[in-house]
Amino acid sequence: MKILIIEDEKELSTGIADYLSSQDYTCDVAADFAEGIYKIEYNEYDCILLDISLPGGSGLKILEQLKEDKKTDGVLIISAKNSLDDKIRGLNLGADDYLPKPFHLSELNARIAAIIRRKKFDGNNLIEFHNLSIDTQNKTVNVNKNPVELTKKEYELLLYFISNKKRLISKDAIAEHLWGNDMSGNFDFIYTHIKNLRKKLLDAGGTDYIKSVYGMGYKFTNQ
Amino acid sequence: MKLLAKYNRVTIPITIATLLISSIAFYFIIHHVLVHQLDKDLLIEKQEILHHIDETGALPEVSDYKDQQINFTISRDRPMKNKFSTQTVYDSSEGEEKTFSRLDFPVSANGITYIATVKKSQQETEDIVRLILMITFAVIAFLLLILSIASRFLLGKLWQPFNNTIEQLKQFNLQGKNEIELLKTNVDEFTDLNNAAFLMTQKVNTDYELLKSFTENASHEIQTPLAIIKTKLELLSQSENLAEAQVNAIQSLNDATTRLSKLNQSLLLLTKIENRQFATTEKVNIASVLLGYLDNFEELAETKNINIQKNIPTELLVEMNESLAEILISNMIINAIKHNHKGGTIDVDIEDHTLFISNTGHTPTNGTADYFERFKKDTASNDSLGLGLSIVKKICETYGFLVSYKYERERHVVSVQFTAGS
Repeated sequence: MKILIIEDEKELSTGIADYLSSQDYTCDVAADFAEGIYKIEYNEYDCILLDISLPGGSGLKILEQLKEDKKTDGVLIISAKNSLDDKIRGLNLGADDYLPKPFHLSELNARIAAIIRRKKFDGNNLIEFHNLSIDTQNKTVNVNKNPVELTKKEYELLLYFISNKKRLISKDAIAEHLWGNDMSGNFDFIYTHIKNLRKKLLDAGGTDYIKSVYGMGYKFTNQ
Repeated sequence: MKLLAKYNRVTIPITIATLLISSIAFYFIIHHVLVHQLDKDLLIEKQEILHHIDETGALPEVSDYKDQQINFTISRDRPMKNKFSTQTVYDSSEGEEKTFSRLDFPVSANGITYIATVKKSQQETEDIVRLILMITFAVIAFLLLILSIASRFLLGKLWQPFNNTIEQLKQFNLQGKNEIELLKTNVDEFTDLNNAAFLMTQKVNTDYELLKSFTENASHEIQTPLAIIKTKLELLSQSENLAEAQVNAIQSLNDATTRLSKLNQSLLLLTKIENRQFATTEKVNIASVLLGYLDNFEELAETKNINIQKNIPTELLVEMNESLAEILISNMIINAIKHNHKGGTIDVDIEDHTLFISNTGHTPTNGTADYFERFKKDTASNDSLGLGLSIVKKICETYGFLVSYKYERERHVVSVQFTAGS
């Protein structure tokens, strides 16, 4: 999977690239408008992370160029300008999602995974992790082919874990993912959800992949 | 009071007074002239009488017409010269008093001295004066009529550029119609006004744009370094074999960064609402927004064993910005969940365009009046910035919704009365 990061803050783009590389993505970085235009012209990407304020021009212009060229690359706008106008214009121009800065890398990763799943819809909406399988089309989960009944939030939580497998996910990132920006900081809720999810997966004969990492959060791993 | 009315208040009495005073003066002058004329006529009559006596040696006949009477009496006194006087006689045939100009003068005929008396009626003179006065009053009335018609039509037209400018300024709106179209006028005062209004609106527009871009740039400039810190911390936390001290340090840094970022976002949101940057409105179904958020937070509430009671109609349409509606509703629900205790309850009701969200929770220790103030919170919990309710209040203020908070029967009740979005 190839990702293009169009972002002028070098520290940010390398940080994103580091994290995404660990999730088996190949990352390409463009630091300004011209480089961004050049790279989208000559390459195909599964997903493009697009900052709006770029040296040399607006990221929205790059989006327009993509649509003009009839390219189908997924586009995720990452903008510090938490401006409604930009968000609406971006989505109207055909961006797939909008994530305001600052964001959790795990959240970014989950959004990219969702975009790629949607773009490559050709029947392959089954995510598998060892004995676990998730059908993102019907939102059903199976453990060793046994169906598991999950609540909406438990399902979202599991999908979030699988999208960020083997990486540490902070409690804050989980809270924000499940309930939005305003609910982060309330960690008791997460604990209950994780306890329930764990129990349901174990009851269905699965393995406990959810590991608590002291003081930090959780990791979804088979090790 | 309108300028015209104020102007009229001064000019109309002055006009009337001037006309009245000049009519009175006119009356006296005309009267004087005409009486003087009568006296001259009396003298002519005298000449004619003297002439007649000279020619015939006898007195002319006594005459008694309505407007002229001549008679003679034998003078016992010594002869006198011309004596003019005015005499009022009651005319029984017409039942009114009549004024005559009278001239007495001595004449001699047949050696006897008579006093000749010639009287001429002032009736005609008075008729003329009366006519003149009537014409004068008619002129006053006509003048006033013309003036009022002129002020109504002509002045209305004269003030049109002014009224247009006022109307344009009233309609001036930073988000919508932010240009004013002014009528061309050749009145210097109005041209000055138009120029000033034009320059002012231009300045307001540029200032507003500057403020808007400053707000967004400030957000950008602060969020970008925060994003870098957050990213690096997240990468750092992925490292294996972190010591407990390092883990704690990373966790603290992460929390502080998150709070800083949220604080920045909330303050920017407040500023944007204050600057009315959420101008687009539509009919938002508050009931369905509410149900959506309740659904989203249902499981969250369940983990705290909070029971949510709903009494929501299918539709409550309110004309407002959709994003603000969502922020309003989610802040109210989150507030009710966050400040609740395990096993508590939340009641959500919509009645008469009013949304009530009440919840159990800690009894307020301080006064509750300032809950809507920024950074006011009852507990020192870190997960609350104390901005939630002030954002709720600010949104309500923007649309003129009535928002209130009270603590009654051991429940915190926040209500928002939406104006009907018909």
